[in-house]
Order: sequence, then structure tokens, then C-alpha cells
Amino acid sequence: MKKGRRDPEAKGGEREEEEEQPEMKRCKTAKRRKNIKNENARKMEEEEEEAEVRNAKRKKKHAKREKGEREEREEDGGKRRVKEKAREGRRRTHTRVETSSEPETSEEDELEEESEESEVRPESLSPEELEMLKEAVYERKKLVQGLRGKPWPMKEKLVTLRESQEFVEKYEGALGKGKGRKIYAYKVMMSKKWMKFQRDFENFKTACIPWEMKIKEIESHFGSSVASYFIFLRWMYGINMILFCLTFGLVMVPEALMGRPYGTIPRKTVPRAEAASAMDFAVLWDFGGYAQYSVLFYGYYNNQRAIGWLKFRMPLSYFLVGVGTVAYSYMVVIRTMARNANESGVGDDNSFNFSWKMFTSWDYLIGNPETADNKFASITTSFKEAILEEQESCKDDNIHLTRFLRVLANFLVLCCLAGSGYLIYFVVRRSQKFALEGLETHTWWERNEVNMVMSLLGMFCPMLFDVISALENYHPRVALQWQLGRIFALFLGNLYTFIIALMDEINLKREEEKIIKFNITMWEASLYNATGSENSTALPVTFHPADVPRGPCWETMVGQEFVRLIISDTMTTYITLLIGDFLRAVLVRFLNYCWCWDLEAGFPSYSEFDVSGNVLGLIFNQGMIWMGAFYAPCLPALNVLRLHVSMYLQCWAVMCCNVPQERVFKASGSNNFYMAMLLVILFLSTLPAIYTIVTIPPSFDCGPFSGKKRMFDVIQETLESDFPAWFSKVFSYASNPGLVLPFILLMVLAIYYLQSTSKSYKEANVDLKKKLQTQNEENKRKNKLAALKAQTDLEEARAATQTAEQKNNNASLQHQHAEEEEDLGSSQRKNGRPPPSVRHQDGRPPATRAPAPRTLHPDTHRSLGYLPGGGFPQQREPRMHRVPSLQRH
Amino acid sequence: SSALMVSPAIALAFIPLLLTIIIRCRYYFVLFYRAVLVRIWKDCVTGLSREERAYQYVLTHATPGDPDSILDAFDVWCSKVEFISNIGPKKGKILDRLLMEQSPLTVLELGAHCGYSTVRIARSLPLGARLYSLEMDARNAAIAEKIIRLAGFDDDTVELIVNPSDEVIPLLRSDYGLERLDFVFMDHWKKCYLPDLQMLEGSGLLRKGSMIVADNVLFPGAPKFLRYIRKSGLYEWKVHRATLEYSKGIRDGMAELVYQGIK
Repeated sequence: MKKGRRDPEAKGGEREEEEEQPEMKRCKTAKRRKNIKNENARKMEEEEEEAEVRNAKRKKKHAKREKGEREEREEDGGKRRVKEKAREGRRRTHTRVETSSEPETSEEDELEEESEESEVRPESLSPEELEMLKEAVYERKKLVQGLRGKPWPMKEKLVTLRESQEFVEKYEGALGKGKGRKIYAYKVMMSKKWMKFQRDFENFKTACIPWEMKIKEIESHFGSSVASYFIFLRWMYGINMILFCLTFGLVMVPEALMGRPYGTIPRKTVPRAEAASAMDFAVLWDFGGYAQYSVLFYGYYNNQRAIGWLKFRMPLSYFLVGVGTVAYSYMVVIRTMARNANESGVGDDNSFNFSWKMFTSWDYLIGNPETADNKFASITTSFKEAILEEQESCKDDNIHLTRFLRVLANFLVLCCLAGSGYLIYFVVRRSQKFALEGLETHTWWERNEVNMVMSLLGMFCPMLFDVISALENYHPRVALQWQLGRIFALFLGNLYTFIIALMDEINLKREEEKIIKFNITMWEASLYNATGSENSTALPVTFHPADVPRGPCWETMVGQEFVRLIISDTMTTYITLLIGDFLRAVLVRFLNYCWCWDLEAGFPSYSEFDVSGNVLGLIFNQGMIWMGAFYAPCLPALNVLRLHVSMYLQCWAVMCCNVPQERVFKASGSNNFYMAMLLVILFLSTLPAIYTIVTIPPSFDCGPFSGKKRMFDVIQETLESDFPAWFSKVFSYASNPGLVLPFILLMVLAIYYLQSTSKSYKEANVDLKKKLQTQNEENKRKNKLAALKAQTDLEEARAATQTAEQKNNNASLQHQHAEEEEDLGSSQRKNGRPPPSVRHQDGRPPATRAPAPRTLHPDTHRSLGYLPGGGFPQQREPRMHRVPSLQRH
Repeated sequence: SSALMVSPAIALAFIPLLLTIIIRCRYYFVLFYRAVLVRIWKDCVTGLSREERAYQYVLTHATPGDPDSILDAFDVWCSKVEFISNIGPKKGKILDRLLMEQSPLTVLELGAHCGYSTVRIARSLPLGARLYSLEMDARNAAIAEKIIRLAGFDDDTVELIVNPSDEVIPLLRSDYGLERLDFVFMDHWKKCYLPDLQMLEGSGLLRKGSMIVADNVLFPGAPKFLRYIRKSGLYEWKVHRATLEYSKGIRDGMAELVYQGIK
């Protein structure tokens, strides 16, 4: 009964004790400091490999120690019983309890841990003690929960947190009784195990995310903007993986396994004329020969409605996969955009420019000193720039020059765009000429001119734009957006020139096809006549499929063009990487030993990672995939390969040959910008694909849709033959314009409604924000008034105590000295102690710390106590200054 | 032969790259023109060295005995007529400020060239201070001597030593009777920065608080020097970023080192 008695009592009386016994507190804090050290040591230990073993050991130790402490406590109790000196005993008990509730106790406790004494038995507690214990535990729990919001120094918070947790851990178990207690302990244990499992599982999950560690490392070296590119790359990889799975699993593999094998029909055979060179590397590299007549391209697929024993509907599957990939891409992009918009919905950068800069501009993911330096410098410059901007917004002296320069820059950029567009157009026309003359007569350079020129322009023009944009004198962020827009325009122009040229070529091929079709019918007729005249009863002569004349198959041509474009683009990217980054880095590094100026810090330097260019490259690459995937099912596979290699190559390149950017900016805001661009590109790239699918009739002798008037007729066909009659009837009703139009109207209305609601929500948000702000100001004003009132009180109190103070000057002086020795932790805890009054050393007039301000701002002392010994003069300073202002009021 | 011939369209695609390079490096081209081509041309035409031409200009355009006017004349000549890599007015201001703050009594200047920086330092020295100025090249030293005297500084304030720095520094204590150096200004061969600094450390002339200022640490640049001070831990240091003298677009820096001594 009496054994357990101390603990709740001790906890209950803790508060009053705090006020009474400063000295004891001090020694306690000393101990606590020691404990912090112990704690640190323990942490270091924890990080070592055999953590679990150690954990187990520590647990045992801990348990033993607890026993020892309890024994001691009992001893205390005994002493108390004997001596009956209430105060003395209580004090001792307090110290004990305090120390025992701490994570590690000093060595003396460890020495006494041999005893076999049993633990605290909660059955022995009286109900009211139990209540008090419960209350104390509850208090601690509450403290732990609210700790984050407390305006204390971090060290104190940590100490309190650890103490409270230990306390709760220890005494929570004592609350239940008998069986219930065991169940409770079991529950606690299980919940801990569960938490640990969850943590491990989280770790496991992070380990499972591909390239996560690589990206984290890059992030720590280069800041989040560079990492955002790699995250984007990974995301893109995921999408392409799914596209690849769709096309590979539903189109390529079924055709390869169940379709007619190679060489059975003309479209699946290399023509006789090409057969000799079909296996040459040069031909294969151009995706001709055997590569052209394989599952990689549209033309290989047969128009047989169902193939294999599964009755797999190949043409339907081909069409649906083509549509499905695009639909899936739309869905994913829009969903991601919506999620990003939700995340970044609340930020407004305009209203508190400097506050935002002050408190939010650090990139906490940086772990590299050089990058940190750069970030520091960039924050400084951004401050300078912001101040300059503020100043400039007041006075605009040379606005005409700036405007002129901006117009000039845009003019130059437009010239550049037009030039590059014309060059591509010219090249494409030339290549058409070459194609008419026959490609064999021309050199490799001439045959690959289009791709080369496009890649080179895509590489060099952005550099020129970058140089030109220096004229404009925009803010870096604005400049980046302009730059992105211009590169976007360039790429788009190039791509569309390419597509227009392709369309021309498609038309050419279709003309050719008409002629060939006519010739074939003539040929067949002549063949029939010939066989008929010779022997009318015999079977028609069977030709080898390689000898059968065939049409040009524009779809395969389109697919080939896109595949070549992707390949050349990839090659250019990698070669640029190797030359522009790696070779440059090697040269700079090793020539620097024998060069007349500093190559590393000076002119060529190492390259920076160009986030915007890389992101745009990725986006346009994806656009080409979307455009070409319908005609070349191998494109997603190629892209997956490319992205995979890119990931490793660029990770390596960025870590080994790039330096952190001079302007490290955070990328969180720009993510949706990239997504928006991706969406635009997705739309723009599906446009020509859909146009060709809808308007141009498929080739007559190649591909899964041959023989149909349009490609989408496959749906009609399936509906008619594979579904019951009523279904096609329903479908035809549903596709009736009378039904479709109202449906579209409804959708538009719904969109309008949702948009207007979101707008009103936004307005409400802004209003609330304003309200908050005004309330804040109101509070500030109130606080100010209260503080002023406190000042007057304080002045009076000071005047009153001044005389009294001078008397016990010497005593307090000594007291002061003793106090100065103390460390942080202790001074924070001395709230209840009578205030140290005077300090004459610095020659200031004596002043007291009257109780009035402390009750108003209980935290001032706390925070000032952080500076050992230095708190008082600092605190006195503003008061001295505030006096005249008070009189003025 | 036609297999190797690149088509003209591909060559045209390189135009943006060419333009970019030209625009990016325009300051370097200008510098090359002014510092090398013009110099060679004038050398051939006049038969005088560049420093002598500068001296003639200063002699005709500046007021004798007025350091400021001499410096101004130099600045005008270097920015308008030809190029000499003096410290220049902008970085010179930083140097002036450092000298004002430090107010050193013993100053060592490595590389006087034609006396611009010597005059600049000498005019901001406190009373009783002494400046030792080293110049390796005898012809330049002669001009520097004239310029210094023209600015009105006598032998007590400025002592010009015509010798390479690696020979003079070990002798400073013995031959010149120096106890300590308060301020060292380096503007000679960039490759000598590091060996000279190490020699200064070895000579024991640097005391706690001695300041060393090195010009042109980024362009033409002294990478080994920077690497050394970064690693050595003997100095508190920073690099004042500026542009190259008499040029707007080339970035350069001036390193300021404060010797902390071995702790």
C-alpha cells in the first residue's frame, strides 16, 4: 500500500514543487542534460548494424533498472515512515521519481539493480490514487500531443517529450487490474509491433519504388528542380510501361503467336526485289527489310477477323488498343493535373512576397554544401531582385528601351522560328524529291537529312533563344516561362512541318497505290486469262508470296518515319550528353592543369543540367510516341527502352559531369506547368493521328483494316456479327444525333456548373483569407494595447521597488552569479522562481522584473533564457526604449 | 567522295549554334581584339611597348603630383585606347575600402606592372606606412618608377624592388628588415599565386589578421590557389565577385584572405 503511494502523489505535487525548489530543479536539469548526452550516445548505437540485438539487451537492462529504482523508492518510503519528516521525504521522493521517469539514469542506479523485488502492483493502489495516476498519465498524453504547438525551445521540447513518453509507457500499464492489465500490456505490445511493422513496410515500399534512392541522391546534390525532371521521367516510364503492356500483350504477341506465320501471304513476306539486302544492318537500322515485314509495323497485320483457337479478334483489338492507349494517356494526365492542382491550390505568391521569400525559399532536400551555397546565393539575389523590383515598380524610367528590347528579342526569335521552319520544309521537299528518284542513289546524309536537321535545330535553337532572352531583362521565372514557350513553339513547328510533309507523302503514296491497284487487277486478269487459255481445268498457278506485286502501304511508311525520328532523336540526345556534358567535363577537368585561365570557374566551366530543355524533349518525344504508336506498335517498346537507358545515363551524367545550377529554384510550382504542356502535346499529337484514321481509307493490301472503307468500320463489323441484334439496335439508337447532342449539352452544362461552383469557392477562400488577416491585425492591436498597459504598471512597480531593491543588492548579486553558470535547460524551467532583480555590472540603472509582464507574456523569459546569462540586458533594452514612447501616448 | 559530303541543309542547321557561340563569347572576342590584335598592331606601328605608350598618354593627360588624376588617365587609356590588365576602377574601389578598414603599416605588392595599383594602394595608406612593390620586368619597373614619382610618392613610402617574387620573398626579413606584413596585394603571374603564398607562410611574415588580396582569381584565374585556401584552413576568405577590369561581361573575382594563423 505504501510502496506505490509515492508516485501519484509525486506527480500530483509536481507543479507546486516546481515553484518551491529552484535549487533542486537545477540539479535535476544537470541530470537531464546528462541524460540528453546518454540519449545521443544511445542513438548513435542504434544506428549500428546489430540494432535489434542491442535493443533486446537494452530492454532487459531497462527492466532491471526499473526494478532497482522501485526498490529504492521503497527504501525512501521506509525512511519516510521512520523519520516522519514530511517535507524532507517528499523532496527526496520527487528526485527519485523524476530520475526514474527519465530514459536513462546515472550509473549509481545501475549498480543497485541486482535485487529480486517485484514491480509496482496496481492492485495495491487505492482508487483515488489510481484516479490521480490516470489523470497524470492523461495530462502527459495531452502534453505530448500539444507539444508541437508550444513556443518552447527545441531542446526543452525533446526533453519533455521523452520524459512524458517514458512516464506514459511506464504507468499506463499499471492502470488496468489483474487480467485486464495483461491484456492491456499485450495490446500495447501488439500496437508497438504493428507500428514497427508499418514503419518497416513503409521502408520496404520506398525501397520498391524504382530509382528512388538515385533520385533522392540527385535531389540532395542539385535541388528539387533537377530531381523533378527525374521524377517526371520516372512517371513517364510508368505510363509507357502500361502502353507497352497494352500493345505488346494485346497486339504484337497474339499476332506473332496465333496469326499466320511469316511468309504465308504477301504482306508478311519481304518482296523479291528487297530480299537480297533485307538482312543488311544498314537496312535494318532504317527499319526496312525484315524489320519492316514483322509485327513491329502496321502493314504486317492480317485482316483476318478472328485468329487462332481463341478466336482472337485481331483487327478489333488493334483498333481498340490504339484508341485505348490515347484514352488512358488522357485520363492519367488529367488525373495527375487535378491532383497537383489540389496540392498547390492554396498558395498565393503575390500578397506576402517578402514573407514567402523569407520563410519558404529554402530547399530542405539539399544535402550538398556546394548546392547549399548556391541556394544561399540565389536566395540572396532573389531578395535583391525583389527589392529592386519593388523599387522599379515605383519608378519606371527606361521603359521604352526595355519595351523596344523585348520587341526586338521577340522579333529575333520569330525570325529564328521562321528560318528553322523553312529549313525543315525545304529539307522535307528535297527528301520527297529524293524519294521519287529512288533512295538508293543518294548518300546516307541525304537520306537522313530530315531527322538530322530536325534534331540539330531542336538542339541549337533553344541555345540561341537563351542568348536572345538576355536582351529582355525579365525576372528569371518569367524568363524561364518565355524560354519554355519558345522552345515549345519551335518543337511544335518542327513537328507539324514534319507531319505536313508526311501528309504530302501519304497523298503521293495513295496516288501510287491507285496505279498499282489498277496494275494488279490487270495482272490478275492477265494471269487468269493466261491460265484459262492454257488449261481451264487446272488450278491457277500459285505464286510465291514474295513475287506478288503489292501497294506502297502508307501506314507502314508513317510508322517507319516515326520510328526513325525517335531513334535519331534518342541518338542526338545521347550524343549531346556525351559530347556536351561528358567530353566537356573531361576537357575542363584535365586541360585545367595546363591552361592559361581557370577553365573550371571561368569560361567553359562544367555544364548545368538544363531542366526545361530536357523536360520539353521528353514531352515531345512522348508526343511522337502517341502520334506514331497506331502505325508502329513497336514504338512504346522502343520508348520504354529509351527511357530506361535515359534514366541510368542521365543519372550518371548529372552526377558526374554537371554542376548545380546557379539559380536553384524550387520546382514544386512548375510541375503542373509541365503537365499542362504534356496535355497540350497529347492533344496536338492525337489530332493528326485521329485525322488520318478517320479521313484516309486504309491501304488495300496491308494492315488489319485492309479491305474496309475506313478503319473504324471494324467496330460496326463487330457489332453486327459478334453481338446480338438488339445490342446493335440499341447502339445505333444511342449513336443517333438526337441522343448524342442532348448528352453533350448536358455535359457542357455540368462542366459549367462545376466551374462556377469552384469559382465561388475560390472567392470564399479569398474572403476568408482577408478575414483572417484583418483578425490578425485586430489581435495585434489588442496585444499592443495590453502591452502598453503592462508598461505603465511596470513603471509604477519599478518606481515602487527601486528603493527596496537597493537594500538587498549584494545578496541578489551573488545569486545572479550562481545563476549565470547554468545552462539552457535549467533557465527555462525557472518560471516560478522569484525573479533575479538587479545587475549592476553593466552600469545600468537598477530595474526589477515585476510580475506584471510575466503573467502577460509567460514565454518571454523562456525564450530569453536561451542565451545563458545574456537574457537580462536584452530584455531590459526594449523596456528602456519604450518608456519615452509610452509617455508620448 | 560524295559519301563524306554533308548536305548544305545540315550545315545550315549549325547556324544557330554558331550565332550562340558568337554572342556568348562576344566579350572574349572583344578582349582578344583589344588586348592582342591592337597591341601587336600598335607595337609594329609605333615601335614602343604598350606600357611606354600608356606612360606617354598619362604624362600628357594627368596632373603631376595628383594620384587621382593619374589613375583617371590610366582608366581612360585602358578603356578607350588600349587594354592593360590593371586592377581597374571597380575592383580598385573594393581594394580602397579594404585598405581603409585595415590601415596597414607594411604593405607588399607583388606585380607592380606599370604602377597603377601601386599608386592606388599608396594613396590610401595611413601616415608612416611603407609599401614594397615587386616587379620582375625591368622595362615595366622603369615605367612604374616614373609613374610613382609622378604621383608624388617618395622612396620612404614606396620602395620598388626589381626582382622576381620567388627570389625576393625569402629575403624580405633579412635584407629588408621586415617583421610582419599587414597587407599583401597579388597581381602578378597567376601561376605564382600559390607558391608565393606558401613562401609567405613559410617566411613567418604573416601574423594573425594579416590580409592578402589576390586579383584575377577567376579570370584568368588561379584555381590551384583557390583550392589551396579552401583546404588549408589558415585563412578566413571570400571572393569579391566583379567583372574583369575595363570589360563588362567577363566575370572575375578578387580573393580576400585574412590570415588566422595556426590554432
